[in-house]
Amino acid sequence: METGQGSGDRSGTNIVSEYLTFTLGNEEYGIDILKVQEIRGYDTVTHIANAPEFIKGVINLRGVIVPIVDMRIKFKVGEPSYNEFTVVIIMNVLGRVIGMVVDGVSDVVGLSPEQIKPAPEMGAAMDTDYITGLGTLNDQMLILVDIEKLMSSEEMQVMDQVN
Amino acid sequence: MTSNGTDINKIDLERFNQVFFEECGEHLVEMERILVSLGDSEPDDEQLNAIFRAAHSIKGGAGIFGFQDMTVVTHVLESLLDKLRTHEIPFSTAMIDLFLEAGDVISMQLAGHRDGAEVDQEAVDRIRTKLQQVVDGESIASTPEKGVPTVLQVEGEPEAAPGATTALHRYEMIFSPDPDIFKRGVRLENLLTELGELGALTVHAQVADCDDFTAIDPEVCHTSWRFCLETTASEADIREIFEFVADEEQLEVRDCAVGSVTVEQATDQSSVAPVAAPEDGIQVGRRAYDKDELAPAAYGRRTSEAEASIRVGVTKVDQLINQVGELVITQLMLAQTAAGLDPVHYENLHRTLLQLERNTRDLQQSVMSIRLVPISIVFSRFPRMVRELAAKLGKQVELKTFGESTELDKGLIEKITDPLTHLVRNCMDHALETPEVRVGAGKERSGTITLRASQIGGRIVIDVLDDGAGLNRDKILHKAAERGIATSDNMTDEEVWQLIFAPGFSTADAVTDISGRGVGMDVVLRNVQAMSGRVNISSESGKGTRVTISLPLTLAILDGLSVAVGEEKFIIPLNSIIESLQPDAASLKTVNGNRVVQVRGDYIPIIPLYELFNMQARVTEPEQGILILIDVDGEKAALLVDALLDEHQVVIKSIETNYRKVDGTAGATILGDGRVALILDVNSLLQMRKTKVNFP
Repeated sequence: METGQGSGDRSGTNIVSEYLTFTLGNEEYGIDILKVQEIRGYDTVTHIANAPEFIKGVINLRGVIVPIVDMRIKFKVGEPSYNEFTVVIIMNVLGRVIGMVVDGVSDVVGLSPEQIKPAPEMGAAMDTDYITGLGTLNDQMLILVDIEKLMSSEEMQVMDQVN
Repeated sequence: MTSNGTDINKIDLERFNQVFFEECGEHLVEMERILVSLGDSEPDDEQLNAIFRAAHSIKGGAGIFGFQDMTVVTHVLESLLDKLRTHEIPFSTAMIDLFLEAGDVISMQLAGHRDGAEVDQEAVDRIRTKLQQVVDGESIASTPEKGVPTVLQVEGEPEAAPGATTALHRYEMIFSPDPDIFKRGVRLENLLTELGELGALTVHAQVADCDDFTAIDPEVCHTSWRFCLETTASEADIREIFEFVADEEQLEVRDCAVGSVTVEQATDQSSVAPVAAPEDGIQVGRRAYDKDELAPAAYGRRTSEAEASIRVGVTKVDQLINQVGELVITQLMLAQTAAGLDPVHYENLHRTLLQLERNTRDLQQSVMSIRLVPISIVFSRFPRMVRELAAKLGKQVELKTFGESTELDKGLIEKITDPLTHLVRNCMDHALETPEVRVGAGKERSGTITLRASQIGGRIVIDVLDDGAGLNRDKILHKAAERGIATSDNMTDEEVWQLIFAPGFSTADAVTDISGRGVGMDVVLRNVQAMSGRVNISSESGKGTRVTISLPLTLAILDGLSVAVGEEKFIIPLNSIIESLQPDAASLKTVNGNRVVQVRGDYIPIIPLYELFNMQARVTEPEQGILILIDVDGEKAALLVDALLDEHQVVIKSIETNYRKVDGTAGATILGDGRVALILDVNSLLQMRKTKVNFP
C-alpha cells in the first residue's frame, strides 16, 4: 500500500486528506491513510491469556509481535467470522504496530475539509469521542475515526494505561 | 565563504560532542582507577604520566569543543601533575584525595554539559583554589610564565583600569603549536582575525624543524609564530583566544612595557632568537617535552591500542541481534520443512541444512557476545567507594574482587550496579565491625569484603561476602515483630534471613547517610528479580554473611521447553524446571478442593495452566496429562499441561513493544512454524495462582 501518492494530482487549492475506508457490518468507516502500514489477510493468532474477547491475540509480523483486535467484536457490528476474505489492517499508532480485523477494505478516498461534517452525538457503534467527523462522498457517508485516540483509550486495553 | 566554513565547523562540533563526552568519561574512569589503585603509596612515573595524559586529553577535548568551564579545573590539575612529573613538587598522599575530588568536579561539569545536570560552581571554584594552592605552594618563582598564576594576577587589572589609553599593553606571544594542529581542525586564520580585533597586530612566522623541502607533509605544522600585539585587552583575553588552539606549553605571552625600544627593534629584525633568549631555559624545557615519547598521547591523540576497538551504538548492536534472531527462526522453519523430505533423495539438502544450522548458531553466539561486557566495569567503582566509606566510618576494610573478566549482558551490567552498591554499602555500614571490636573478637583489625563473579551453567553468579558480625537472628525477629511482620521462633535461619527483604526493613540502630533507611534489601531483591535473577543469603554469627545474586547470562535468549495446552504452545524456561512426570491416580490428592501431587513424599500443588489462562484444554485431569515441576526460590509447584513438545533455544521478544504486559508471561517468541508462543514466567504464575486460588 503506497501512501503519500495521489494527493499531488488532485488539482485545487484545498488540502485533501486521504482516508482508507473499511466496513464494519453495514457501516463505512475511514482512517487516516498515513497511519496504515499494510493490509493483510487474517492468519492464525496466538491467544493471549485472560485478554478481552475482542483482542484476538498476537501474530508474528516479520519478527515483530503484533496484537490483533477485532473491531466487529468490540463494537458488536457484523459477524465475527474468519475466512479467506477477512482483512487485517496493520497500523502504526503512537509508535506501536497494531492489527485491526475488519469486514473488508473498500477504497482510498480524498476528502477536503468542507466534505467533513461534525459527527452527531449518536449514531455510530463507536463512541463519538473517537469520531473526528462524518465524510460525504458521492452520497456515501464515511465515519472518520481518530484511531490514535481509540487505540490508546482505556476501553481498548491495548496499551498499558501508564502515560 | 568563511561564514560557510564556520557553519560547517559548528555542525561538526555538535556531531562530535557525544564522542567527546564518552571519551572524557573514559579518561575520568581511567584516572580514578589509577588513583585508587595507588592506595597510599607514591605513584611511579608511568602512573603519573597516565594520569597526566587523562587530564590533558580532557582539557584538550574540552577546549576544542568549547566547554571552557571544564578546562578551568583540568588546567590547574594538569599544571600540578606536570610539576609532579618533573619532580618540581614532591608527592604527598593528600594529593590523591585532591585529585579524586577534582575528578568528581570534572565529572559533574561533564554531566552538566551532557545531561544538563546542575553544576555546583562553588565546588568548582573550591577545587580550583585548592589545586592552585598546591601548585603555588612550592614553586611560584620558578616558572612564572606557566599556567594560571599569571592569568589570575592579570585578570583583575583591566577591570581596575577601564580607561582605554592608560592600559595600553604590548604583548609578545610565541606560539609553537604541536605538529598535528591542522589535523585537529584548528583554523589559524580565525585565530589571527580574533587577535587582530584586539589591537594592532604584527605576525612573524618561523619555519622550524624542516630540513628537506620535498619531504614536507603539508598536513603537518612546521611553523611557529611570533605575534606582537598592542592592545588594551588583558593577557587573560589573549589566552582565551588561544584556549581552543594551544596548550599551556605551546604559548608564551609576555607583557612588555609600551614603547620598549629594544623589543621593537628585535621584532623588526624578524628574528625570534633575541626575544626568545631570556626565556631560553623554558624554551628548551618545552622542546624537550615536545619530543617526549609520551607527547603524542598527551596531546589527546589516540594510541594504537585504542584503535583495537570501535565505538558502535547499542541500537545498532540490538538491531543486529534482532536480525540474527530472525535468521535463526528462518533456519528453523527451513529445517522443519526439510524434515518431511525423503532423506535419501535429498541427502545433499539435509547436509547443507545441518551446516546452515551450525553456522547460524555460531553467528548468533558471536553476535550475542558483542553485547557482553566484563563485570570489572561494575567492580571497578567499588575500591574508591570502599576507601571513602572506610575513612568515614573509621573502619579498616580490604576489598577483594575475583572473576572480574566474567562477562554479562550490557543491559544487566547497568541494572546490577545499584543492587551491588547497596550490598557493599550494607557490608561496610552494618556487617563489618570497627577495628577495636574486631580485635576484641579475635579477628584481624581489617575487615574483608569479597566480590566474586563466576559463570555457572547458563547463569552468572555474583557473591558479596564479608567477614563481619553476621546477621543477628534475634534482632531481625525482634525488628520484624515491631514492624508487624508475622514471625515465629521456630523459623529456620533461611526463613529469618528472608525477612530482611521486607520493604522498609532495617536493623540499623541509627539511620546514617550510608544506609539504615531500610530502602536497601527490598530494592535489591526487586531489581534482581526484574532481571529474572535470584538473591540468596547465608550467614553465620560472628563469621560473616554471604549474599549471592544469580542472574541469567543474557536477557535476549532463553533455553526453554515447549509444551502444548489445547491449541496453544507455551515456552517454559528450562532453568526453573526440576522434572516432568506423568502422575498415577494414587499420587493425586486434594487439599481444600485444590489438587496436589505427591512426589517423593512432598505434596506439591498442581496449577492447571488451562484454568489459570481460561482456555480450552484437551486434558483436564492430571493423570492424562503431564505435570511439570517448577521451582521458584524454593517454592515448588506442578504445572499441568497437555503434552511436552520440544526443547528450544528461543529468542525473547517483547510483547509490550506493541501491546501491554501479559500476566504470567515473560515475553513471547517465534516458533519454527512462524507462530508466536508465549514464554511463561513461573514466578508470576505462582502469584496468579495465589490470587486466583479460591476461584470457582
